Amino acid sequence: MPETLLQLSGLTVRFGGIAALSGVTFTAGPSEFVGIIGPNGAGKTTLFNVMSGMVAPTDGAFRIAGVDLAGKRAHVFNRMGIARTFQTARVFRNLTVRENVQFGLRFPWRRGGRATDVQAETDDLLARLGLIDEAQIAADSLPPTRQRLLEIAMALATNPRLLLLDEVAAGLTQSEAEAMASLIQSIRRERNISVIWIEHNVVTLMRTVERVMVLHHGEVLADGSPREVAQDQSVIDAYLGETAE
Amino acid sequence: MRPAPTWILIVLLVACLAILPWITSVFVLSLALSIAMYAGLALSWAMFSGATGYVALSSSAFFGLGAYTCAILLGSWPWPVVVVCGGLIATLLALLLGLCVLHLRGTYFAILTFGISELLKNLIIYVEKSEFGTVGRLMIGAPPDNVIYWTVLALAVLAAAIYWLVARSDFGAALRAIGSDEDRAATLGLNVRNAKVVGFCLSAFVPGAIGAAVSVRWTYIDPHIVFNPFIVFQAILIATIGGPTRLGGPILGAVVFGVLEETLRLNFEHYYLMLLGVLLILSVLYIPNGLASITLPHRLRRAKGVERSRA
Amino acid sequence: MAELFASPSLLVDLIINGLLIGGLYAIIAIGLNLQYGMLRILNIAHGEFLMIGAFLTYTLKVATGASPLWFVPASAVAMFVLGLLLHATVFRRLSAISATLDIMEERSLIVGFGLMFILQNAAVVIWGTDLHGYDFMTNSLQFGGVVFTANRLLVLVLAILISVGLILLLRLTLLGRAIRAMVQAPLGATLVGINTNTLHPLCFAVGLGLAGVAGSLLSMIYVVTPNMGTPYLITALIVITLGGLGSLTGSLIGGVLLGLVETFGVYFTDPSLKILLSYAVFVLVLVFRPRGLFAR
Repeated sequence: MPETLLQLSGLTVRFGGIAALSGVTFTAGPSEFVGIIGPNGAGKTTLFNVMSGMVAPTDGAFRIAGVDLAGKRAHVFNRMGIARTFQTARVFRNLTVRENVQFGLRFPWRRGGRATDVQAETDDLLARLGLIDEAQIAADSLPPTRQRLLEIAMALATNPRLLLLDEVAAGLTQSEAEAMASLIQSIRRERNISVIWIEHNVVTLMRTVERVMVLHHGEVLADGSPREVAQDQSVIDAYLGETAE
Repeated sequence: MRPAPTWILIVLLVACLAILPWITSVFVLSLALSIAMYAGLALSWAMFSGATGYVALSSSAFFGLGAYTCAILLGSWPWPVVVVCGGLIATLLALLLGLCVLHLRGTYFAILTFGISELLKNLIIYVEKSEFGTVGRLMIGAPPDNVIYWTVLALAVLAAAIYWLVARSDFGAALRAIGSDEDRAATLGLNVRNAKVVGFCLSAFVPGAIGAAVSVRWTYIDPHIVFNPFIVFQAILIATIGGPTRLGGPILGAVVFGVLEETLRLNFEHYYLMLLGVLLILSVLYIPNGLASITLPHRLRRAKGVERSRA
Repeated sequence: MAELFASPSLLVDLIINGLLIGGLYAIIAIGLNLQYGMLRILNIAHGEFLMIGAFLTYTLKVATGASPLWFVPASAVAMFVLGLLLHATVFRRLSAISATLDIMEERSLIVGFGLMFILQNAAVVIWGTDLHGYDFMTNSLQFGGVVFTANRLLVLVLAILISVGLILLLRLTLLGRAIRAMVQAPLGATLVGINTNTLHPLCFAVGLGLAGVAGSLLSMIYVVTPNMGTPYLITALIVITLGGLGSLTGSLIGGVLLGLVETFGVYFTDPSLKILLSYAVFVLVLVFRPRGLFAR
C-alpha cells in the first residue's frame, strides 16, 4: 500500500448560502497523476484554492503527509510541498521572466539548508520549459499561453511534492495540448512528484493521466481510471455527453 | 558595470556634505540639513511603501515619537544613544502597529496608520495633562548645530544604505512581489505577513531617529508641533514625485523640494502647501514613476539591484 | 454610573448627543461607503468636503442672514458638482492608467492625500485659522424636566431623517437598487448591464454631497475650522467596517451605534480619549468580526 501524500476528508466550502464544495473525499499517493474534470461551476478551482491555502474550508480536513493544513496560511501549504498555477496566469508582471522563476528559489533557508545554485537552477527550469530565450523580458510581455509555462516554472522552483495545474491547456490547439501533456508527464517522471490537473480539454487529459476525478455541483461524481470514468453513465449524462469527442 | 568609480563618487559626495559646516553660511547649512532630513524620511518611506504598495501614513507618528523620546532622554543620556532610542521606540511602534494592521487591505492600512499620529498626539496630551498639568516639554541640553547636522546627514546616508541593500536583496524581491501580487507570493512560499512587518519596522527606524535629532532645533516641543501630518505628507510627496522605486528618486525629490521650501514656504505658506498638493496629484496622474524615471541618467536609474517600477 | 439614573436629564442628554453624532456619522459613512464600495476609491479627503460644506453654510448664513437650513441643500449640490468635476478630471484618469485595482487604490490614496492638503490650506487662505461659528436656534427647550438646546434636537432629527430617507430611496427606487447592487457586487452588476459610466461619477458625487450635508448640519451646532474634517474620515471608516463594506444600512446602524458608544465612553473617561476609544472599537471589530457586525 503506497504511503498517502494527500488526503481530503469531507471537504466542504460554503460561500453565503452556496456550497461550492460538498463533502469531497479523496486520497492520493506520492507519484500519482490525477486529472479533474467537470462542467463550469463544479468547484474545481475552489478545490485548488482550498488545496493551496487561499480559501479555508468551512468543514472537513485536508492533509498532506498526515498533517492537517486546513485554516493555515498559504505559504505553509507551499512549504509543505504544494505549488499551483492559476487559470488566468498570475505572474509577477513587473519582473522579468527570469526573476519570476527565481522567486521560488530565493529562499533557501526554508529548504532546510539545501544548497542551491540559484542561477543554475533557474537556467535549468527556464530551459526545461522552453523559456530561456525570453528570460530577460518582462513577464507581462509574454503571451498568455506562454505565461502558463512560466507559471509552471515558478511553481517547480519551489520544489513541490504536489503540483496543481489549472487548465494549462486552455486555448491551445490539439497538437499544442498534446505537447503540453507530454511535457507535464516528463516533468512528473523526472521529479517524481504528484500532479493534479484540471482541464476542459478532456480528450488530451484522459489520454495522459492515470486517474480521473469528476466534480459536479461541488461533489465527487466519479473517481477512477480514465476508461472507467468514460464509461460511467452518470458522468456521461452530466458532462461527457456534452463535450465533443 | 564599473562599481569602483561610483563608490568613490558617493564617498566624495558625503565627504563634501560633511565639511559643509566649515565652508558655508548658516543658511546653506540649514538648507542642507532640511534636504538631508527629507531625503531620510522619503527614502525610508519609499523602501517599504514604494515596493509593497502599502501606503503608510505613519511617518509623522514615528517622527513625533522620536522627538518625544529625545525630549525625555536629552541631557541624561549621550547624544548618539538618544538618537538611536528615538529610532528604536519608533520601530517598536511599527512592530505593534504592523502586527495589528498589516494583514488588512491597503486602504485600511493607510487610514489606520494615518490615525495613529492623531491617536498618539491625543494620548500624550492626555497623559501630560494628567501627570504634569501642562502640555509640552522644554528641550534642554541640545548639542551644537554642527553635531545635529552631522547626525541628520548620517541618518540620511543610513536611509539610503538601507534602501539600496534591501532593494538588491532577496528581502527586497519579496517586498516587490508583495507589491505585484501578494497572494501569489504566498502560494510560492513567502510568509507575507512577516515580510511586511519586518519591512514596516525597518522603515520606522530612521524617521524616529530623525525626529529625535531634529527636535532639538526647537527649544520647546509639544504634541501639536511634532505630530504634524505635514511631515508624512512631505515624505510621500518627495518620494512619489521623485520616484519611489529608484534610489535616486527620493534624493532628487528632497533636493528639489528642500530648495523650494526654503524659498517659498516662509512667505507663502498656505499657497505653497496647496501647490504641493496639486503637484502631487499631477505627478501621480501623469508621471506615475516619478521624476527619476525621466531625468536621471540611465546608469543611475538602473543602479545595482534597484527594481523597475510597479506596473 | 449611578448618577446617570439619578439624573434623567443627563441620561437623555447623552442619548441625544449619541444619536445626534451617530446620525451624522451615518450620513458621512454612507457617502464614503458609496464611493469605496462601488469604485474602490477611498477618498482620504472626504472629511475636507465636510469641512467645505460647513464653511459654505457658515459663509452664506452670515452673508445673507437667512436660516442655515436653506444652505444644507446648497452645500449638497455644491459638493455634488465638485464631485462630478473631481471624478472627471482625476479619478477617471486614475482608473485608466492603473494596471490593477490594487494599484488604482494605492494611487487614489495618494491623490486623496494631496487633495486633503489642497483643501485644508485653501480653507485657511479663504477663511483664516480662527474659529468660526454662528448662533442658530440656541434657545433651550424643555420636555418633562429634561433640558436641551433646540439646534441639537433639530440636527438630530434631520440627520436621522436624511440617513433613513437615503436608505429608503436606495431600496425603493430603480436607480437606488442599481446602486445597491453595484456596491454589493461590482462585477456582477456590470454583467447584468448596469451602466458604470454614468453610475460611477454619480455615486462619487453623491458621496461627496453627503459629506457636504453632514458638514452643513455640523456648522449649526459646532465650531467651524479648517481642520475639523479629518477626525470624521477615520470615524467614517470605522463605521463602514462596523456595518460591513457594501452595506449601506449597516453604515446607518453602525454610525448610530458608534455615536452612542463614543458619547457614553467619553463621558466616563475623557474627551481626549475619544479617538483611542474609536480605535479600540475598530481593532476589536477587525479582529473578531472583520466583515462587519451584521455579516451573516
